[in-house]
Amino acid sequence: MSGGRLRAGVAAIAWLAAALPACQQRTPASGERVYYGRTVPRHGPTEVWTNIQTEPEWIDPTKCADHPGGTVITNVFAGLLQAHPQTLEPMPDVARSWELSPDGKVYTFHLRPSLWSDGVPLTARDFEYSWKRVLARDTASRYATLLYPLKNGEAFHQGKVPSFEVGVKAIDDLTLRVELEDPLPYFLDLTTYYTTFPVPRHVIDRLARAGLNTDLWTRVEHIVSNGPFVLTEWRFRQFMTLRRNPQYWDRQAVKLERVRLNMVESNNTVLNLYATGELDYVGSSGQLPSEFLDHLSRFADFSNYPQLAVYFYWFNVKAKPLDDARVRRALSLAVDRAQLVKYVTRAGQIPSADVVPDGLAGYRALRSLIFDPVEARRLLKAAGYGPGRPLPTITLRYNTMEQHKLIAEAVQQMWKKHLGVDVQIENQEWKVYLKALNAKDFQIARFGWIGDYPDPYTFLDLLASGNGNNSSNWSDPRYDALLRRANRTQDPAARLAWLREAEALSKEAAPLLPLYVYTRAELSKPYLMGRFSNVQARTLMKYWWIDPRWYHGVPAQRADDVAPPRPSRSGEPRAADAGRAEAGP
Amino acid sequence: MIGFLLRRLLGLAPTLLVIVLVSFFVIRLAPGSPFSSERSVPPEVLHDLEQRYGFDRPLWEQLTRYVARLAQGDLGLSTKYPQRTVNEIIAQGFPHTLVLAAIALAWALLVGILAGIVGAIRQNTTWDYGAMAVAMIGISVPTFVLGPLLVLVFSLTLYWLPPAGWGGLRHTILPGITLGSAYAAYIARLTRGGMLEVVRADFVRTARAKGLPERVIVARHMVRGGLVPTVTFLGPAVANLMVGSVVVEKIFSTPGIGPYFVDAAFNRDYFLVMGIVVLYSLFLLGMNLIVDLAYGLLDPRVRYD
Repeated sequence: MSGGRLRAGVAAIAWLAAALPACQQRTPASGERVYYGRTVPRHGPTEVWTNIQTEPEWIDPTKCADHPGGTVITNVFAGLLQAHPQTLEPMPDVARSWELSPDGKVYTFHLRPSLWSDGVPLTARDFEYSWKRVLARDTASRYATLLYPLKNGEAFHQGKVPSFEVGVKAIDDLTLRVELEDPLPYFLDLTTYYTTFPVPRHVIDRLARAGLNTDLWTRVEHIVSNGPFVLTEWRFRQFMTLRRNPQYWDRQAVKLERVRLNMVESNNTVLNLYATGELDYVGSSGQLPSEFLDHLSRFADFSNYPQLAVYFYWFNVKAKPLDDARVRRALSLAVDRAQLVKYVTRAGQIPSADVVPDGLAGYRALRSLIFDPVEARRLLKAAGYGPGRPLPTITLRYNTMEQHKLIAEAVQQMWKKHLGVDVQIENQEWKVYLKALNAKDFQIARFGWIGDYPDPYTFLDLLASGNGNNSSNWSDPRYDALLRRANRTQDPAARLAWLREAEALSKEAAPLLPLYVYTRAELSKPYLMGRFSNVQARTLMKYWWIDPRWYHGVPAQRADDVAPPRPSRSGEPRAADAGRAEAGP
Repeated sequence: MIGFLLRRLLGLAPTLLVIVLVSFFVIRLAPGSPFSSERSVPPEVLHDLEQRYGFDRPLWEQLTRYVARLAQGDLGLSTKYPQRTVNEIIAQGFPHTLVLAAIALAWALLVGILAGIVGAIRQNTTWDYGAMAVAMIGISVPTFVLGPLLVLVFSLTLYWLPPAGWGGLRHTILPGITLGSAYAAYIARLTRGGMLEVVRADFVRTARAKGLPERVIVARHMVRGGLVPTVTFLGPAVANLMVGSVVVEKIFSTPGIGPYFVDAAFNRDYFLVMGIVVLYSLFLLGMNLIVDLAYGLLDPRVRYD
C-alpha cells in the first residue's frame, strides 16, 4: 500500500471509527452535567486503567526521550525532587531538603534514607552514578544536553575531561553536592525531570558480571526502581502493569494498588475504550480526535489545558527570498492566527506570535501582534516586492499529517489573500522530512517545540547559534551574548529581563513564525480523583484515587479534589513531609 | 509427490535470497535515519548509535553479515525497541496475528461455504439471491467501515463485547468477523460457482442414478468438487489475512504483527522490516506449496510430475 493510500485509509478510519460511536451519544444541552460513556468504575476500587499510546522505546531514565517512556519512569522512579502534580513546582522527594551556596552555583541535597524496590539502600552515590551515566558518551543518551549545566558536564560528554571533574559528587550516603557552570534558576526543575532520576547501579553491574546486555536491566525480570510504583508485567505493544511499591518512602500517599498502562495507538479506539469504561483516563500521550472536540467539549468529564509547547514554521534565512528579515516579518504578520485556531485547529489553541508562551512564572511575554496585514504589505513593499515585482514562489513544507496539511493550506490562502504571495505546499514522510530539516534543505518548514522545564530558556535556547535544533540558519552573536549574560546573572528579575531582550531581538529577525500555543484536550472519568492537568502533560499517578460512591450511580456532588499543598521554594520540608519521612524506611 | 515436494522446497532458498537482497537495498534507499527524532541527536551520539548496530560499515559488509546471521536464524536487533531482538518481537506478535487470522478464516469458511451451498442447491431462488446479495455487500464494505459499525452495535450500544484490546476469546470475535467477512463473501461466491459446475457433472449424475439420497450427494460429491476454486483462493486468502490485517489490528488494537510492518518502515527499523519481510515471504511461499498439494487431495485428476 502506498504511503498516500495508507494515510488516506487511516484518515478514513479515523473519521468513521469515531464518527459512529460519537453519533451514538447525544450532545448535552448547555449547563447539563452529562458524562461521555459509562461512569461506573469497571475495575477494582484501587485499580486504574489508562493509555500510554505506544510501546516506549526506553524506560531507562538515562536513555528515555519519548513521552510514553517518560510517563512510566515518572511513576516508577523517584528523583531528588518531584513536580507538584498541578503547578509542577519542585517538591521534596528522595531529597528531604537542600541548600544553595551564595553564588547560586552549588546545591547540597540532603537525602532521606530510602530503599530500592529490592530492599537495597538508595544512596547519593546512585545519583552520582546515574548523572554521569547520562553524560557518558557510550550511553548515547539523547537527553545528555539536559545535564550540560553541571560543571564540566558538556566537557565530559565530549570526552575532554575525566568523569571525576563533573560537578556531581556524593559527599556521604545521604548528601549530594551539585556544582553548576552558571547559577541556573530552573535547575531544581531539572531534578524533577526523569532524565535525572537514579538508576540502580547494583542491578546494571549484576547483569554486566553475568555477561548479559546491560540494556536489559529495565526488562520486567530485572527491573528495580524506587518510585511510587513498580513494573510487574510488560506485554510488548499491549500493556504494562504497575503495582504499588511497598518500599517507596512515601508509600502512605499512594492510594492505588494497580495501574494498567495500555498501548492503544488509534485515538478513536481510545475514545471507544473510554466510552465503555475500559479506560478511566485517556492518558497524556495520544490526542482526542480533533474533529470531535466540539462535540466532546460539552461533556462534564472533558478538559482542555494549555501546554508548554509552541507550533511554528521555520524560515530558512539563507534561502532567497527569505534572506530578508522584512519578508519574513511580512509573512508572519499576514497570518490570521485567531482565524486559524478558530476554524482550522479548533481545539482551543492559543494564537500567539511569540517564541516563549505566556504564563511562565515571572516572565513577561512579548505578546506580539498576531495579525496586521497592512503592516505586512508595507514590509513587503519596503523589501522591494509589490504588484510590479511579485515575490518568487516559495515552498512550505510539512511532515505528512492531516492536521499539518489543513494548517498549511489555510496559511497558504492567507498569504495569497493578504500579500498576493504564491506558496506551494509540499509534504514529506517524517524521517525524510527530518533529514531535509537537518540538512537545511527547505524554505519554510513546520515544527513544534515542547518545553523541557518551565523557564523561557527552554524555548530561547532553540535559536542559539550551534544548537542542533536550530534549523533556521539564523545566528546572531548579540543574541547568544544576551542568553549567556542572562544565565550568568544571579538576580532572577535581571535574568528574565535579559531573556526578554533576547526574545525581542529574535522577533526582529523573525527566523521562525510562531502560530499557536498547544492545548491538551482530555477525558477523565469523574470518579478518578487526584488527577490534575499541567502544562507539560506529566502524569503523576501517585496521587490518584477512585471515589467509590460512583459504583452505585452518579453521586449528588463530586468529591473535593485537592492538590497537595504547594511547596515553599526554600527547600524546607513541609510539616506533612517531615511526618512522612519518619515513616519512611 | 515426495519428489515434487523436495523440488519445491529447494526452489524456496534462491527465491528467499532474492527477496532478502531486494528488500535489504530498498529499505536502505529510503532517506532518513533510524535514530533521527524531533529533538536533534548530537552527531557524536548518532555515531555511537550507528556503530552499535554496525550501520557505519560499508553496505556490502552489512549485507553479508546480515545474510550470515539470517542463515543461523538470527534476525538482528530492533533499533526502535533496543531491548528486543527481531526474533523476540516476531515470536511475540506472530501468534496473535495467527489467532486473529484463524478466527477470521473460521468465520469466513463457515459463513462462506454455507451461503455458497445454499445458493447453489437453491439456485435462482430468493435464498440464492439473498445469500449472494449479502456476499456482494460483504465484498464491497471495507473493514474500516464494518469494524466501527460492529463496535457501535456490540460494544457501545449493547456492551456485549469489548471495543478493542486483547485477552480472551471475547476480544477476538469482533476483529475476527471484521477481518473475515470480505473473505466469507468471496468464498460464498466461489463455492456456489464451483458447485454449480459439478451439479451437471457425470459423477453427480452417476451418484443420482445409484439412488443416493440428495443429502449424501451434496455432502460427499458436490461439496468436494465445489470446494476446488475455494481452495485455490484459500492460499492467497490466508496470506492476505496475515499481511492485510494492518487496518483491523489498528482499529481493535490487537497486538499482532500487522501494524509493526508499517510502523517499522516508518521508523526505518531496518532489521525489523527485513525480519517481517522474510517471515511473510516464507509464509506466502509455504501457503502456495500447501495449496498445490491440497489440489491433489481434492481433485483426483491432478498429478504431481
